[in-house]
Amino acid sequence: MSEEELTFWEKLARIDRRVFYWILFIGLMIPFIRPIMFPISISPSTRDLYEGIKEMVEPGDVVVMNIAFGVSAWPECMPAFVSCAKLFIREGAKIIIWGSYYDVDLTYEELLRRAKEDFAKLKYGEDYVYLGYYPNMEASVAQLGSSIRSIFSTDKYGTPLDELPMMKNVDKATDIKLVVSGDTGDCCDYYIRQWRIPYGVPVAEIGIAMLGSSYMPFYKSGVLFGMSVGVRGGAELEKLIGEPGEATIRMGAINISHILVIIAVVLANIGYFASRGKRR
Amino acid sequence: MPYPTDPAGIAGLWISWLLMLMIYSYPLYKENPVYRFAEHTYIGLMLAIMLITTTITTTIRMVGPPLMQGKVWYVIPVILGFMMFFLLTPRYRWLSRYPIAILVGAGFGLGMRGVLIPNITKQVISTITPPAVGAGAVDWWNYIYIAIGTICAVMYFVLTWEHRGAMGYATRLGRWIIMIGLGAYFGNTVLFRMAMLSGRAQFFLQVLRIAPM
Repeated sequence: MSEEELTFWEKLARIDRRVFYWILFIGLMIPFIRPIMFPISISPSTRDLYEGIKEMVEPGDVVVMNIAFGVSAWPECMPAFVSCAKLFIREGAKIIIWGSYYDVDLTYEELLRRAKEDFAKLKYGEDYVYLGYYPNMEASVAQLGSSIRSIFSTDKYGTPLDELPMMKNVDKATDIKLVVSGDTGDCCDYYIRQWRIPYGVPVAEIGIAMLGSSYMPFYKSGVLFGMSVGVRGGAELEKLIGEPGEATIRMGAINISHILVIIAVVLANIGYFASRGKRR
Repeated sequence: MPYPTDPAGIAGLWISWLLMLMIYSYPLYKENPVYRFAEHTYIGLMLAIMLITTTITTTIRMVGPPLMQGKVWYVIPVILGFMMFFLLTPRYRWLSRYPIAILVGAGFGLGMRGVLIPNITKQVISTITPPAVGAGAVDWWNYIYIAIGTICAVMYFVLTWEHRGAMGYATRLGRWIIMIGLGAYFGNTVLFRMAMLSGRAQFFLQVLRIAPM
């Protein structure tokens, strides 16, 4: 059938997908040039994450921030991760940062840059430490629970852990108040299996949107004390700590992309159903 | 990261910007040699960084200091690691089976350690526990939907009885529930890709100094 013989609806159903990709790519840029702000309501899982940290963490408590996401997932995970770090610092917690992604150093440096004003008040070794990358995820997470020193004898910069004041009495999962894991995969599962269940350490998840449905059963059953899902979770946390930032702006782009996807789905379905009778 | 001021930093930024456009030439135009070049470069670089980071972390940071302190048993995992390379020689391939067996056994054992309580016990309790007194209609709807949905979805995989009569209705409902669940999962996947794409769109503008870095 030549292009001239197609009806309007058939042409609608046959729009080249590259046209949609171009519109999407250009449409996503708009909020970064001119921010489009929408009201953001707080979901219960993000509120529980925020309130859980505020209720559980006392000044001087040691918490773990696990980086299990790479640079490619910064748009999704980073805003919530930065908000959590700020919250920990404001609650007076001492932070251990480590990660299971090979580009964890870049993420750590970006975390310090984005929360620069908060980290500037802290002293490295006394208030926070960075231990770097650990491979072989679940086995390492299990071992970290029984002895951090069996995996990391020094921090990332080669200083023995015993020489870092905040690490003097910290070596086991039971010395840790809670864990927040930023994930693109299943690393939070390992903390649930190897820290939450055997040692009772509260665990929370900062995941990409894709993990929302995977970890919701764990949150609903009380295994996770809180959960931030994707950019939306980041925007909610930014609102809760009173510092709207990157995720709040990015929500404009996400909303535009959703509107475009809905329009594409509707147009394709109209084209399909309108031309179905003709095919029969 | 802030906009770099040094020549190397600026060059790196523009190279990454160009490589990103080369990759996007596939969905925005069609498969072409420029896309292939960028794809192969990305995979090669990623593997190289992964190899170097993992090797340095395991040998220098994790095994080195304990060995220096006289903990000689730390040499055992190193030997087991090297035994993996016997995979490449047909004559001694059998030697590589020992580290693989240890890895699989340890992985399975560790996985089983904490799987029953969070994945089964807590989920069953959470599914059958009704909402608290005073809960709203949405909570009750969720409770009934999840309870019935779980039972019907599980029944769909019961293959020892023919799916007829009452069983047939339940398994058909179970199939719908599974489709709705997979749809939600796919929706979340699309959402994640959109967020990643928005990150690239932002980077595109940042390099051109149209958006703040």
